[in-house]
Amino acid sequence: MAKKKNKTTFGTLALAMFWLVAVSGVFLAIPFDVKSPYLSISNMMVSNPWASLIRNFHYWSSQFFLVFSLIHLYDHFHYKQKVGLKKGMAFRLSLAVLTISLAMISGFLLKGDADSEQARQILKTLSERIPLIGESLAYSLLGDSENYQLIYVHHIATFTIFIAIAMVEHSRKYWPPISDFILSFVGTLGISYLLSAPLHDNLNPAVKGPWYFVGFQEILHWLKHPEWSLLLFLGVLLLIYFVNSAKGKTMFLSKRTLLVFSAFYGILTIIGLFFRGENWKWETPWNNEYSYSVLHNFKTPKVKLSPDYTIREAMSSPVIQGRKESCLACHTNTHGFTDSHSPEAIGCFSCHGGNPFATGKKQSHRNMILIPGNLNTANQSCGTTQCHPEIVERVPTGLMATLSGMISVDRFVFNEQDNPDILTDVHRLGNSAADEHLKNLCVRCHLGNPKTVYGPITETSRGGGCLACHLNYSEEAKNALAQNNGDLINAHPEISLKITNNHCFGCHSRSGRISTSYEGWHETTLLASEMPDSSNYRLIEESRVFIKKKEDVHHQLGLQCIDCHHSYEVMGDGNHYAHQEDQQDVQCSDCHIDGQPKIISAEDLDNESAIIAALRFGNISERKFLVTEKHNRALINTFVENDSIYFLTKNSGKKMTMKSPAAVCTRDNAHSSLSCSSCHTSWAPTCIGCHNSFDENERAYNMIKNQEQKGGWVEYIGEYKAQQPTLGIRKTENKTEVIPVLPGMILTIDKKSFSKNENDADIFHRLYAPAAPHTTSAKGRSCVSCHNDPVALGYGEGELKYEIKNGEGKWLFNAKYENIEDGLPADAWVDFLKTRDGKVSTRSNVFPFSVEQQKNILTVGACLTCHSENSELMKKSLNNFDDLLKNRSSRCVSPDWE
Amino acid sequence: MEIKNRRTFLQIISGGIIAFFIFIWNKLTLNHIEISGEKEKMLPFNKNKTISFYGNYIIVNQENKTTVLSSHCTHLGCRIDKQENGRLVCPCHGSEYDLNGSVLKGPAYKNLRIVPSEITDEGKNILIKG
Ligand code: FES
Repeated sequence: MAKKKNKTTFGTLALAMFWLVAVSGVFLAIPFDVKSPYLSISNMMVSNPWASLIRNFHYWSSQFFLVFSLIHLYDHFHYKQKVGLKKGMAFRLSLAVLTISLAMISGFLLKGDADSEQARQILKTLSERIPLIGESLAYSLLGDSENYQLIYVHHIATFTIFIAIAMVEHSRKYWPPISDFILSFVGTLGISYLLSAPLHDNLNPAVKGPWYFVGFQEILHWLKHPEWSLLLFLGVLLLIYFVNSAKGKTMFLSKRTLLVFSAFYGILTIIGLFFRGENWKWETPWNNEYSYSVLHNFKTPKVKLSPDYTIREAMSSPVIQGRKESCLACHTNTHGFTDSHSPEAIGCFSCHGGNPFATGKKQSHRNMILIPGNLNTANQSCGTTQCHPEIVERVPTGLMATLSGMISVDRFVFNEQDNPDILTDVHRLGNSAADEHLKNLCVRCHLGNPKTVYGPITETSRGGGCLACHLNYSEEAKNALAQNNGDLINAHPEISLKITNNHCFGCHSRSGRISTSYEGWHETTLLASEMPDSSNYRLIEESRVFIKKKEDVHHQLGLQCIDCHHSYEVMGDGNHYAHQEDQQDVQCSDCHIDGQPKIISAEDLDNESAIIAALRFGNISERKFLVTEKHNRALINTFVENDSIYFLTKNSGKKMTMKSPAAVCTRDNAHSSLSCSSCHTSWAPTCIGCHNSFDENERAYNMIKNQEQKGGWVEYIGEYKAQQPTLGIRKTENKTEVIPVLPGMILTIDKKSFSKNENDADIFHRLYAPAAPHTTSAKGRSCVSCHNDPVALGYGEGELKYEIKNGEGKWLFNAKYENIEDGLPADAWVDFLKTRDGKVSTRSNVFPFSVEQQKNILTVGACLTCHSENSELMKKSLNNFDDLLKNRSSRCVSPDWE
Repeated sequence: MEIKNRRTFLQIISGGIIAFFIFIWNKLTLNHIEISGEKEKMLPFNKNKTISFYGNYIIVNQENKTTVLSSHCTHLGCRIDKQENGRLVCPCHGSEYDLNGSVLKGPAYKNLRIVPSEITDEGKNILIKG
């Protein structure tokens, strides 16, 4: 026995560890505050490195104590054929294992973080489900759910005393040699210095129990009736009992079972620790979310005995959501935020990640999100539970994130799919000709394209997730960034509702070019070097030359994009839409109302609209707002008061009175199927004749990978024009209306240049596209601009003439452009007095006028060749055209269609 | 014989004492739970927010109907504090419920408890009963 005393075994090490746990526990009690455990621990980590060290010491010594005790137990089984303890002793030993588990888990609960809180709930529920005494037991173990008092008492007294008794009992026989103490102490201290005890940041949605219970957590997640798992516990304790006290076969079987169970549990523990993430979902290391969702548990800082800031700085940093963050001890006086995003409210960690409990720059900044708001990390910053989870979930469903319409139309044009309305997503692009075409030329403008450099949103910006719209740099922040010399920058850009036209400009000045058209700029094919020096020209992105045209009347009045477009339109409403006009909600008639307005009172507003309205306009409690016809959404910058409708600009609060539509617009008998924009569009940019081919030697760009590549699709553009749009018909379930359309895609695609298959013929399409030109004029277009205009009717430019010969009237058309592939003029949609079907537009519900409709339009056009559109007669004709036609004088010759 | 009887006697007595302690412990704890338990709770109410998470409760407003659900997952009591695509998701083992509290995905198999409640103060607050 005397000899044994000095031999180091796992038993003696466990014993040594126990006393280290006990002593460090006493020290830890000094800074620990049971009234707010989470705060006090985060405070230790941030402000008191010595306390932090002791906490780590307490943690690690206890973990080693557990591990060594278990190995020691196993050693006993291993070395001897039979342990042969007395029954009472064996019973106490099993009880000791239970008590050690309880002491360990109560220590885990005392962190008070998200992991602990959920573990506490599980423990409570499990104990409550024990028959008869469950409720009392749960309460006696865990106490009142509002505080940690009883858990603390059990941790430091009840369980500890029991273990101490067991230890003393042991110690009488085996007192660890002094070298064991020294070894344990030094080893634990080293580890405690290098690895802090875990503390959940309370933001990451993944929660887990302590490592020795994650196997159990894995078992629990299989069980519908998890209370049965308690029997498992009991089983293990019984096995230990039998191994220690039984003889012969029982002992042997118990030993084997215990061994098999341990191995099995080991596997479950590995699964729980390394393959389970948020919501206990299976995660593998090659999954994007792996590091955030699984590894965050292991990211624990090293103790820095002299932090990068003073204690005073740490003390004066605010408490954020129940914890201290070390970030604010260095980044003092960071300013430029809106109230809700100020560091006093949400700290730095909520947006930027990193390690809020590390005390040195390098460790704190590890895994930081430098530019939060990009969609690939938005769920870890803007979208965390306490902030904007619903919005971050919605945005990726919207068209600005999916680009579904753009992709689907492109594939349709490349003859890769039969219709342009199939829902898809930019993240699902493949390698087809169309998809490569999109990657080379189109898909830079989606919200998921990450912003990778600091600085404000400019005309060259694309994507950027939440930042695309919500980021604003003050002059100070801009200057600070420009002069950045490695010092701390205190001027922070702002995340706010101040969304200006500039935010939309980068993407929306392309393709349909609504941003530029709205401001009255039309793109030319001039080179930058050819741009005349005149205020009528504007250079965009240093290469695109624009010429002045008429601006939109709303722009003239000071309205910005967001004055008409609300949050559910722009950030998506959670539904997937095929095309822009489907997602788009606000219509002219929602504001320019004829008749009774549809309204909603402030108290009935949905939460998002209410918050935005209050942030923008202050107290809104008495207001009544207009509601959109299509998707039933509130227009928070409108209100109805004393039978008048008012409008406020969102950014500047400028108040205006809303105009009702003119009488001509609301009269039902003529023109009732015209959409507002078919008349009120003053011009629209068009481009005809574009050719696409794949050039192997081209230095192209892959917009998904954001990198250059050799070989890519090249677009040879045709001619740009600004003119009044063509008119077409859109047929939807509820209505058929006349809308403006543009020669969206009259193009050829040299498919074989991509496929290298000589049998692939060139693709030619003559597709017009519905347009939302954003060049509204207060006055509608003239009668002749439609009834006597070949472009409006879809014939393309040319001379449209009404000829009367021998008392017979005839419309004649002479096209300006030559006929191309399909025998039609280069810019036409249809042949003169003919129509087309099949693939005619970039939508499946947009068509050119039928021959009948063309004849009707031209019949009026014929009258307009003699009668001025302002004449009494023509005005009268609006009410009763057919009668007038029947009773016309003999001098009037209407067209003869035969 | 003497001794054996004596031992049995002592064993019975100590068993009795232990039973008595268990009895007292159970009684006092249950009493304590009863007197200290919270019976009612007043929470701020926002009828236009579809889902609000308040500690032990989830307030759901749907189609002009307000339901208060217990936020404790019926599997093992973890507190549900988030929704994903209109589903209430438990962080511990991934059970999912719809907004009426009905289970959509296990391990839980019982629906979330519906807590009786009453909207008070002209819709400003909600009184949660038990
Ligand atoms: S506690 Fe909710 S799923 Fe287990």
